[in-house]
Formats: sequence, C-alpha cells, structure tokens
Amino acid sequence: MINYASKIIAAGALALGATLASHAAEKTIKVGVLHSLSGTMAISETSLRDVLLFTFDEINAKGGVLGHKIEPVVVDGASDWPLFAEKAKQLLEQDKVAVTFGCWTSVSRKSVLPVFERNNGLLFYPVQYEGEEESQNVFYTAEAVNQQATPAVDYLLEQGYTKFYLLGSDYVYPQTTNLVLLEYLLSKGVPIENIGGGLKREGGQIISAGKYTPFGHTDYQQIVAEIKQFAAGGGAAVISTLNGDTNVPFFKEYAAAGLTAETCPVVSFSISEDEFRGLPAAQLVGQLGCWTYFQSIDTPANKKFVADFKAWLAKSTVPGIVKEGRVTCSPMVLSYNGVYLWKAAVEKAGSFDVDAVRKALQSGISFDGPGGTVTTQKNNHLTKNVFIGETRADGQFKILKSFSNVYGEPWLKGKFK
Amino acid sequence: MASQLYRRILFIFLALASSLTALAADTPRQVVVEAILAENAAARRERVLSLVGRGDEDVAALFAAWRGDQLFIYQTAEGARVPVQLTGEKDGEGSQTALKVSDGQPLLDAAGNPLRLRAGDLVAVEHNAMLRRAMKSVLDLLDLSAADPGVRIRAITTIGFAQDQEKLPALQARLAEENNSRVQKALREAIALIQLKAGNDDTKLEGLKELEKLHTLASTDFLKAALRDAETAGKPALIDAARRALNAVETHRTLVNLFGTMFRGVSLGSILLVVALGLAITFGLMRVINMAHGEMIAVGAYTTYIVQNVFGSGLSLSPFGFSISLPGLNATGLAYESYFIVALPLSFLAAAAVGIALERGIIQFLYRRPLESLLATWGVSLMLQQLFRLIFGANNVQVSSPSYLSGNWTFFDIIFGWNRLFVIGFAVVIVAGVWLVLTKTSLGLLIRAVMQNRGMASCMGVRTERVNMLTFGLGSGLAGLAGAFVSQIGNVGPSLGQNYIVDSFMTVVVGGVGSIAGTVISASSIGLADQSLQQILGNPVLGKICVLIAIILFLQWRPAGIFVTRSRSLDE
Repeated sequence: MINYASKIIAAGALALGATLASHAAEKTIKVGVLHSLSGTMAISETSLRDVLLFTFDEINAKGGVLGHKIEPVVVDGASDWPLFAEKAKQLLEQDKVAVTFGCWTSVSRKSVLPVFERNNGLLFYPVQYEGEEESQNVFYTAEAVNQQATPAVDYLLEQGYTKFYLLGSDYVYPQTTNLVLLEYLLSKGVPIENIGGGLKREGGQIISAGKYTPFGHTDYQQIVAEIKQFAAGGGAAVISTLNGDTNVPFFKEYAAAGLTAETCPVVSFSISEDEFRGLPAAQLVGQLGCWTYFQSIDTPANKKFVADFKAWLAKSTVPGIVKEGRVTCSPMVLSYNGVYLWKAAVEKAGSFDVDAVRKALQSGISFDGPGGTVTTQKNNHLTKNVFIGETRADGQFKILKSFSNVYGEPWLKGKFK
Repeated sequence: MASQLYRRILFIFLALASSLTALAADTPRQVVVEAILAENAAARRERVLSLVGRGDEDVAALFAAWRGDQLFIYQTAEGARVPVQLTGEKDGEGSQTALKVSDGQPLLDAAGNPLRLRAGDLVAVEHNAMLRRAMKSVLDLLDLSAADPGVRIRAITTIGFAQDQEKLPALQARLAEENNSRVQKALREAIALIQLKAGNDDTKLEGLKELEKLHTLASTDFLKAALRDAETAGKPALIDAARRALNAVETHRTLVNLFGTMFRGVSLGSILLVVALGLAITFGLMRVINMAHGEMIAVGAYTTYIVQNVFGSGLSLSPFGFSISLPGLNATGLAYESYFIVALPLSFLAAAAVGIALERGIIQFLYRRPLESLLATWGVSLMLQQLFRLIFGANNVQVSSPSYLSGNWTFFDIIFGWNRLFVIGFAVVIVAGVWLVLTKTSLGLLIRAVMQNRGMASCMGVRTERVNMLTFGLGSGLAGLAGAFVSQIGNVGPSLGQNYIVDSFMTVVVGGVGSIAGTVISASSIGLADQSLQQILGNPVLGKICVLIAIILFLQWRPAGIFVTRSRSLDE
C-alpha cells in the first residue's frame, strides 16, 4: 500500500517535473490530497482524488493561485483510520502543505482532527456527515444533516407518508443522523410508534433509533420481512443510511419481497451516481436520493463541468485511473467547489497563511459551482442548494424538487424539541 | 328494417346528448388538461384526484402516456400552451404524430395539416411518486374489474387503505360478483377497513368483527387508530372489539414470524451449505486447509457475470493492458434470462479448472504438510483477489437476477422468495449429487480409498495423483457453483470470497471434519440459530455474536464437531 502511494507521489512528481521543465523557475504551492486509494473505501474515494487532480490542472492552466502553481501531494489513507492521522501528520509536518482536501468517512475525519488542530492546518471535508462538530481547522463543504436528511423527510411528509423505517450501517454517521431525524420526525407530529427499526433506551433516554447492520452484512431477509410487515398498512417509507456495497443484498432482497418504490420508497443518503455504478439498476428505479448536486442538473455550468472532467479523464496519465463509465456526484462536486473556495479565500486574503485564509472563508465567499452558487458561512459550513431526485434505470437521478440556498447547520441534536 | 333505423337514430341522439352534457361539466380529458397546466404539484394532484370515480378508458390511456413520459406541452405561435400526446412511429427526424390531450384529435398547424413534433424539442410533463399514486387511485376503480387478479387486489387494497366511505358501494358490488378467493379476502378486508371510519357504531363493530376474523397484518395500524378513537369516545363495546381484533392480529403475527424465521433459517443454512460443501471435500476429505476456497466462489460468481454479459451486450475487459472484448448475443426476454442456467455448469467448470491448476501447481507438493498448504493457499487467495481487480476492476460488478429468481410467493403472509426457494432446492440436489458420487460411483470409491490412506491405495494400484486432482477439482467446482448462487443475492467484487471463507470453515468444523452429513446438519442449525436469535434480539449483530460464542463453547465441548470421523490411523 505504501508502495502504491509512493508510486502515485512519484508519478505526481514526474508530471510536476515535466511542468517545471517547461516553465522554468515557476513558483509552486503544495496542497495535500488525503483519500483512501486502497481498501474498502477506495471505490468511493478514488473518484474524489481524480476530481481534485482535475481541478488543480484546471486552475494551473489558468495561472494558478496567487501566481503559484498548485503542486498536489497525494497520500493514501488506505481505509485505515489511524493511518489517516499519520498521513495527515506527514502532510502537515514534512510536506508543509498549505491546505488539505480529504477524508470520506466520519471516523477518518475524527482521526485526523487532532493532527490538524495541533499543527493549525486546514482540511476541506466534502462528504455528507452527521454534524455535531465545528472545528476551526476543518472547512465542511459537506452536506450537514439539514442539507440532506431533513429536506428529504420534509419531502416525504409532504408526499403524505406517515410511517418511517430507519435503517443504517452501524457507525457514527447513521447513528447520529437517525437520532436527529427521530427528533425531527417527532417534532413534525409523527407518533413514535410510526417509527420503525427499534429504539434503544438507556435510563429513559433514547440512545439509538433504527436498525443497524455491520459493514459487509449480506443477509437482509429478516429486516426486509420486518419492513414488509411495517409497510403492510400503506403510507410507509424507508430512510436508509446503509453504506457502500451492503446496499446490493438489501435492494435485491427488497425487490424479491415485492416491495417497490410505489409501495414503500427508500430514500438513501449514501447512494450517489458514483455508488450507483456497482448497484443493480433495475431494482433501484424510482427510489429516492437527496444531495446538493446531481449530474442531471440541466445548466450550462454543470454540462461544461461534466464535459471538462470527462475530457480530462480521457487524456489523464494518472496510473490506474478508470476512464470508462465515469460519472460525477455530489461529494465530487463539493471537492471541486472546495478547491475554488480555497483559491478565492487565498486571493482575498492575499496570502496562504491558514489564519488569514480562514478569516477570508468565514467572511462569506461565493462560488458558482456545477450545482449552483455556494457561499461560505461563519461556522465553516456552506450555504447551498439541495435537490431531491428519483433514480432512473440509466443510473442518473430525475430531479423532483429543489430547495435553494439552504444554510448549513451542524448543531441539530436537541434543536427540534 | 324500420325499427333498426329508429334504433340507430336513437343511439346517435343519445350519444350526442351524453357528449353535450359531458362538455358542459368538463370532460375527464379536460380535467387532465387542467391538471397538466396546473401551477404546482399540489394543484396538479388535486385535479387528478377530482377524477376519482369518473375515470374512463381515455383517462387510463392518458395516464399511462403521462407515466411513460409521452405527454408534452406544445407552445403555439400565439404563446398558448397546448398539452399533446406524441404517438405512433418515429420518422427519420424522430418526430411523431401529436394528439391534443383535450380531445384526442391531431394537432393542426395554421394551414390545417397535422403537425409532427419531436420529443426532444418539447417540455415533458412532470410526474412524481405522489402524483402517480393519485393517478392510481383514479384508475383503481377502473381496475376493480381488471382481468388480472393481482391488479384487482392492488386496486382494492389502495381503496381500503384510503378508508374512503364513498367507495364502499363499489366494493360491496364487486364482492357480490367476485369469485377469486384471494380477491374476495382483499375485498372483505377493504370493506371492513372502510367500515372502521363509518359514522355509526354498529357498522364500526361489524368492521372490527370482520377484521378479527381476517386478522390481516395490514390492518394493525388501522385497528390501533380505531382503538384510540374508541378510547377517546369512551365506547366500551368498540374498545373491547378493537382489542380482540388486535389480539387476533398479534397471534397471527407471532405465527407468521415463527414460520417465517424457520424458513429464513433454512434458507440461510442452505446458502452456508452450498458455500461450505466444496470445502467439506477439499478440507474435510482431503485435509487441505484451502484458504483460497473463497476465491473459487468468486471465480464462479465472475463466470456468471461474464455469461450474463455475453448473453447481453458483450463485455470489454482490459487486463494487463491487453484489451479483450467479448461479443454479445444481444438476447432479450426469456433467452436472456436463461443465461443463469448456462452460467451454472460454466461456473462449475471454470472453478474446477482453477482448482485443478492450483492442485497441480502447488498443493500436490504439500499433502503431508498441512500448515504450509495453509500459507500457500492463502498466498494464492491474495493473488487471485488482485487478479480479479486487474481484470474486472476494484469496483463491484452488476449481476442482475433473472425475473424467475427475483419474485416471491407469499403464503400465510410469509414471503418465500424464489431465489431462496431455488437455493434450498439446489442445496438438496447438490448434496444428493455429492453423496451419490462419493458412495455409488467407482470414482467415489477411489476418492474414499485415497483419502483414508494414500500410501495403501497407491500400493493397490490406484493412481492417487489423478484422484487427488479430480477430488480437488470437484470441491473447487462446487465452490464455483456456490458463486453462481451468491451472485444472485449479494455483491460480486474482488473480496467476495473473504465474506464467505470464515462461514465456510465454521460450518465444516462444527459439522465434523470429513463428514458430509455433519456439514448439512451444522449448516442448517447455524442458519436457524442465527435467524431465530436475530428475530428474538431484534439485532443482526448481537444474533451473530451469540451464534459465534455458542460455536466456540460447542467446540470446547466437542472439538471434533457434531460427527466425529473415527479411523484406525495412529495419529488421530
């Protein structure tokens, strides 16, 4: 794995060497890319590395940031959470990067957080997360719970659904999100017996809501039978925070039990266009997704972004890069937006200094990204548009509803009482 | 003659009159036009719902077109918005005949000629799940007399769930003429559910008594609501009836869960069995600790993937920089779905071939050194995983289930998934097959002889090397077959084998190494225990942990497993 990472670094260095040769004595600025390029999360995170490298090339072609070309330092977190912290340390202490773009799972973010805080680094985090965090050393371009989960619930309520079954993978993001959703649903007048999946109480307090399965779980017979009974009386929907490939056995079992998007729709928070590539498309048609970007957004800006990314992929020389059947998705666009927001902040601050850049970011910077305008907030989150879509057989989403300029709010627990 | 003429005139007159009155009161077609042009989703839905009970075949056809994205809005030169339906064959430019939604007549241009429009140039009329449900409730009353009992049941349940008093007569009329017992039951349930919302208590009581008799799972929520209403209103008779009905449903649910859990346990057990049977031969009989067993399963699963793509639109792979493209047969329908039948023997053969190569290349040198074979096969397993990554990519690949494996048969409210029934049946068949091969064929005799005592068998003139090779091939081939099945219920990816290797060893060790019967019993008991604990504890993780602890304790007590294979060999 170290070998793989060093190969990538070597390739990056080679590419850089080539650029250096052609533009002699050009100033550069080091930027860290910290994603899992091997292990279970590689499937999702490699796409983020690809889009980051694409963005750097796009910026460099237009003259770089403050006259400096971006020099990416790509390291592999290898889906190993303690290793993430070590790699972060290497980026900050040895390579002295100005900013880092990285992490996917919440556990990897929690792992690198102390490193960034100790070294006063800056991390841009692009993937939907559970909130309850607001570090001065992290900029969350990610969807907060109120930019994904609660709009989706609003949509379901508006459509007349009255019963909600909560299902997720067993780790911090689904557990926390479902607790927030439980409070939210109760505040909207949904009676507690209409919430399925089970509640765990400790000392009178609900500490866990919903049904959880471990990563790599394959047997969903029992859970699907339970959902079938739950949905027997109509008006039910499933809110799923199942991660990664456990969605395949779940949706296969779901379809085999005769449950469909019309009888009991599933709204999934972890299935974007990119994950869709490995899922049985026919069994997912009509199920719902909620993100701040869909590839199917019909704007010139988005069409250009998708076309540019594909053109970049076609001539990319990054070793092992997948070129066929690529799509764009929300975490990718949030990574892309993050780089441009950082660039704007650096230019506003007139320096690469983390404190100055943070101050510029917190003052409110806007960027017109592929998913519409995003604006930075004082609390290190982003105001952005939210879309609800329905999956189609071709792996894209048909947009059903959009909410514009939703303010990112990380502190939601206890807010809906 | 005269009377015929008279009748014809009368008919024309009547038709005219009826169309005139309809015109005065908005024809259903016009309501659809209004719905299409409505400003927001709520207004649109309201217009669609206003058609409930007034639907006709025109509306059914229009709704079908709407759901099929065939309705568009055409902007005339004057700026008016005209909803149109595009139908008929596409010509060279992709344009089709446009029929006005308002009257079903072709849309004419200024010169009076029919216009032909291209779908790409127009705005398709939107629809979402809620609107489709609204359309469905309009179509439901139409569907009450549909020919397909499934469609009738769906229509009836939707009406029942909505508890709309106005539809009660329609349902009762239908019940009088219905003769399909399943549809009758659905009708009785729907009528009873609607009665729960009736104005007078006697009707409510009647509904509750009927639901007590029917005790359907679907009625739980409605009964609970009725119980709450009765409690607020303080009607003891109703409270009592509602409680009894709820109890009946709960008793029914307990039974459903009990038998459902048993079925799911057997089904999980049969998957464990199919997955472990190959290992029962390579590890159980041959005593090779084959860590690459999981990858043999993956070989089978990937073979299924390749066969599926060859039946479909072909497949292009680029291992090691070479680009290989397999042409597709472009089969459709039943021919395409028969891919799975072809994939079964091929996945057996592919995995058997890999197994034989592994045996010839590595394992044959390690029969007397079990620990080295563990390390060597583990290495092979890592190499094979990397090979899958290089050939098929790190992402999972999609294997779609044929339609005859993705439905279910629901009996007594228990879901019998066809894929599950198939895998149970298949497990029975291959266990029987393996048993026959081992006990009734000369190959089986040789296998047993060689496995008992290699040296002695060799002295008796048995070509032990060949028997070893074939036995290992058989075990690997069975793993490949398991892979074809696993591809129907889970993921197909490079690390597929890792998910099954632990379960396989667990099953074989608990059953007793060397005993096929032991493997069968252990697989089904692990499956049953896992599903029952999951049902009781309500948590899949805790269930699995309990099963593992139980297995550890069991092996402490009986280290050799359920069935101990005894031999006269000195080192045992």
